[in-house]
Parts: sequence; structure tokens; C-alpha cells
Amino acid sequence: MNRVVTYIYDDTFIDLISLIAKLIINKARPYSIQSKKNYVATLFSEYKEYEFDPKIAKKLLNKLSHKIKKTIINIYLSNNKSKEVVIYYFIKNSLKYKDDIFQMRNLKCVHEGLKISKNVTRETHKFKGFTRFKLLNNDVLYAEISPTNDIIFLLSKHFKVRLRNEKWVIKDVERNIYCIYEKGKTYYVNDNVLEANKLEFDENENQIEKLWKNFFNTISIKERENKKHQMSLMPKKHWKYIVEMEDVYEKSDK
Amino acid sequence: MDVQEKLQILADSAKYDASCSSSGSKRASKKGLGNASISGICHSYSNDGRCISLLKILLTNACIYDCEYCINRRSNNIKRATFTPEEICYITINFYKRNYIEGLFLSSAVIKNPDYTMDLIINTVSLLRNKYNFNGYIHAKAILGASPSSIKKLGQLVDRLSANIELPSEASIKLLAPDKNEKSVTKIMKQIKENKNKNFVPAGQSTQMIIGATNDSDYDIINKSSQLYQNYSLKRVFYSAYMPINQSPLLPMVTIPPLKREHRLYQADWLMRFYGFKAKDLLEKDDNFNLLLDPKITWALKNLSEFPKEINKVNYYELLKIPGIGPTSAKRIIKCRKKFKITFLDLKKMGVVLKRAKYFITCDNQYYFKRDNFNKNFIEKKLILEEKPQYEQMRLFE
Ligand code: SF4
Repeated sequence: MNRVVTYIYDDTFIDLISLIAKLIINKARPYSIQSKKNYVATLFSEYKEYEFDPKIAKKLLNKLSHKIKKTIINIYLSNNKSKEVVIYYFIKNSLKYKDDIFQMRNLKCVHEGLKISKNVTRETHKFKGFTRFKLLNNDVLYAEISPTNDIIFLLSKHFKVRLRNEKWVIKDVERNIYCIYEKGKTYYVNDNVLEANKLEFDENENQIEKLWKNFFNTISIKERENKKHQMSLMPKKHWKYIVEMEDVYEKSDK
Repeated sequence: MDVQEKLQILADSAKYDASCSSSGSKRASKKGLGNASISGICHSYSNDGRCISLLKILLTNACIYDCEYCINRRSNNIKRATFTPEEICYITINFYKRNYIEGLFLSSAVIKNPDYTMDLIINTVSLLRNKYNFNGYIHAKAILGASPSSIKKLGQLVDRLSANIELPSEASIKLLAPDKNEKSVTKIMKQIKENKNKNFVPAGQSTQMIIGATNDSDYDIINKSSQLYQNYSLKRVFYSAYMPINQSPLLPMVTIPPLKREHRLYQADWLMRFYGFKAKDLLEKDDNFNLLLDPKITWALKNLSEFPKEINKVNYYELLKIPGIGPTSAKRIIKCRKKFKITFLDLKKMGVVLKRAKYFITCDNQYYFKRDNFNKNFIEKKLILEEKPQYEQMRLFE
């Protein structure tokens, strides 16, 4: 019986690229690639690992255009289960087709890869709107999000420009990652440096939230009410972190 | 009156304006708070399913005029309120920092006289820009009858400036808004068009028409729109289904706003702006749109002899005429077919939605159904069945 080989890498993007570079050199056709933390050993599976080599990883990345790199980073940040294999084939074909890869949509890795990438871009765009900050008593704006894909890095680039003179923190609740911003720089940490239940809000926070909820309820036209439509544009999974929806969220069955 | 109550009154009077768009501004901003996003961002959706992007409020609802359809008309017995410029700044800045909004949409009823009202708007916006260094998106309404010098001042401070045409014909304006006339609107539009640059109304101008308050036909409406797009390079015309707010012998007796009709007009508007359709392609004189089928399908069924179109052959503009195919899909098809011959399966992989398109195309000379099904009866029946029973609202931002 043939054993299924899973290639594993050390949980970071550059580790994955190093592995892919080696696989391309060895002309392997990987059936499955998993990060160490996601790999689950089973009786009939076997795993293989290569030593990390930053040089060949860099060499491979240098062969790829900016647009291609951006796409594979997007795919990497997705929560798609087979994203690594998609990236492998996307890179392999990119070496052959260069930027024409974006027109080769009849290839599975391309139409799947672009779909995944677009999904990540789209979610990032949504969160540019849905992220809600609260002002803490130490002048820090604090937001919690729970996105499907790992978009905190892409999202922070947006707020780095928009809220450039503020101090802010965004927490990805599920992944337990914080992005901390101060004076033009972002820092990523994943310990509980800020314990959420100890947060103290600015004394005006309540009043501002009340103003906003007041506006939110007033601006809707009764004769046009269409909550189904509202829900399809702003799905329930986001409500917990969107302050104007929190009352509806509390009342709904979660 | 506290700011909480003012906000309630002045958001309530502003809610009938359909525009909430925040896109298209390339205004540079390196300092201060905020920036404009070229693609526009929706921050929330209200219970009516409309996008909330901007803090949409009136500066005051105390109007000297008496437009029949308007909740703020002088003769209505409602609570009146006026914001101070500082109050508007306070709300805007605090909402913006918390990422509730993309910016401010400031409109106003006419208080005292047009220039006095404009000065209040200018003061507010200038306070936001200069004292609070606010660089988020600002859309302001130009007040009809205000002096050209005040339009000039305001245009330098905002991303978008707009004047509402309200109704598609001079006769209708005269009937329902006797203090206004078309000329006073187009005069402002002309001034904005002639001065537009990256420091003056960089996101362009828009306008709004009320649908169903008068006898004007859909043909009149889209004709008016295409004139406005042409003459004043408008970014958008918004359509707002008439809401029966006031009782008046001059107004129609309806209880439900004509939402489906509004939706059809948005679709037609889209076809004129991005698909190369002309008003006269879509409707005969005095006609209204078919409420059962969308304008593009209606057009295609009427011109069935132009179909089916071969995906691997026809040019960009022909592709755009196919129901279900928009600019993104058309461009993608053109790029991909240089690399390989496109089949129905490829179209699916390319993310082209076949739901409507499949009736109107061939791929490498293959038709999706049996070839003799290509006839008006078959297609029309299928498409009517597929049309969603509930209307879908168009996204109200670009
Ligand atoms: S001028 Fe504007 S606010 Fe005043 S009544 Fe007419 S539409 Fe309403």
C-alpha cells in the first residue's frame, strides 16, 4: 500500500517558501503540505521535512513579480485547508508563465488561487468598515475582530495611514494576535499583554456609543425596512464586535 | 436641546437622501486625522439594508421653503433643531476615530437665506479641516441660490459637492418645489464642472431625483439623467423612491414607496454609464421599465437577432451587451481567450456567472441548451422564473 506523504514546514511563510523551493528542485509532486501546528499524524500517513534554507527561499522569491508575490501572500493568509499545495502549483506555473499566469484561469491552481486571494482581499475590505474601536482611559483606541482569514496584517496597513496620529491596538480574538500601533510603527504580539477584562474605557465612551446607536437607528427608513438584506450584507458572525449590533446580538440565539 | 436630541432630529430629516457614497476621492493627505479611500468603504448597514458610510445629517431642518414632498417644509409642524459647527465637529471626529464612519455628509434646509446657510456649512467644514485637521471624506450639499463665491470656497474644502435636481422636468419642479427651478440647480452644476480639479471637489458631483412623486415616465427620468451626465460630468445620479410623508392634493396617493421601480432605474443608469447603452436603446418615449425583467434582459429579448454571441469572438462592447456579463467578466474573457479557447466549464472557473448569460452565448459554437431552445419564449419563461421574487437593492455606493 502506498503511503501518503505530507510535507511539513515550520509555521511561517518563509519556511513554506523554502520547502516549496526544495520540492521544485526535487521535482516532487506534493499531495499535501501542512504546517507543523496543523499536521495530525495518522496511521497510514507519513511526513517529510526539509531543513530550512533561507538562501534558496530568497532566490525563489526573487524570481517572482510583485503581483505574484502579493497573490501568494494573500493565499497564505487565507484559512483554506489546501492553500499550501495551491501556492506550490501557483509558484511552479508562475516560473513558467510569469505574469501571464493571471490569464491562465483554466489551470486549477490559478482559478482556485485567485479565488482564495480575492476572498482575502474582500474580507480585508469589509473589515476596513466593520472594525470598531473603543477609546480606553489611556488614550488608546482598542478594537477586537474575529475574521475568517488571517487579515490583521493587511488590515493594519490601512489603519496605519488613516489613524496615523493615534495610538491603537487591534486584537484578532480567535488567533490571539495583537497589532499595536504607535508613532508610525506596528508591533505584533501574541501573548496577553493587554488583558481584555481589565480594560478601562474613557469616561465619554458611553455617550459616544449612545450617539452612534441613536444615529444608526434613526437613519433607517421604516417604510423600506429589510432586515434580511441587512443581514446578508452584514452577516451575523460579525455582530458581536460591531457596537451598533451588540444589542441585537445579545437577544439573538448565537 | 442636547446634542443627543439634535442628532436624532437632524439625522431623521436627512435620511431620505439616497447618497452615502464615499468613493472616488484622490485628495492627498499626509497629516492630521484620516484619509479618503478611492474605492469607498461601507461601515455598517441600517435596518433598511442601506449602506452607512457617512454621518448623514442636516445642519438645520428649519426651512424657509415649502416643498410639497419634504418633511422639513415650512408648513409642517415638526420639531426644529440647528447644530452648532462645534457640535458637528465633535460627533464627526469621535465617530471617525472609532471607525464608525468614512466621513461626513452635510446637508441643510435653508435657514434665513441661502448665503447665510452656506456660510454655516462653510464654517463647519472649515473648522473640521483646519482646526481639527480632519482629512476624512466630506460630501456637502450646495444650497440653491447661494453665491458663486461661496460655492468656490466650499468646493475647496470638500471631496464632493452636490445639488439635487429633485424632479426630472421643469413642470414638476414648479408644481412641487415652487421656490426652486432647474436653472438654479444647473447653474451650480456648471460651476462645479468648470472648476473641478484635485483641489476642488476631487470626488466630483452627484445629484438626486425623487421617483414616483409626479407623472414623469421612466423614459423622462433616464433621459434627464443622461443629459446631466453628459452636460455636467456627474459622477452619480441617485434615485429615491417617493415616500408618502406629507398629505397634499398635489402628491400621489400611495402608501408603499416604488422600490422596484427605483431598482430598475439604478440598473438602467448603470447600463448607460458602464455598458454603452443610450436611453433610447432601453425605452421608447413615455415608457416605463418592465418590472418583471431587468432592463438588459428586456433589451436582449427585444434584439434577440443579435444573439447568441460567441464568447471566443465578439469584441468588448458586444460582450457587455450579454445579460449577466459586466465589465470585469468581459475584460477577463478578452484576456483569457488569448491564451486558450474558452468553454462553458472555463467560464465557470473564471468566475463568470452563467445564470443569465448561458441563454445568450455560445462557447466554441456550443449552445448551453438544445439548439432549438434558442427562442424568445423559452428564454423569457426561464428568466422570469429565475428572477428573485424579492427585489434586490443595488449597492448605493460606487
Ligand atoms: S428647500 Fe430643501 S429642506 Fe427646504 S423644504 Fe425644500 S427640500 Fe425641504
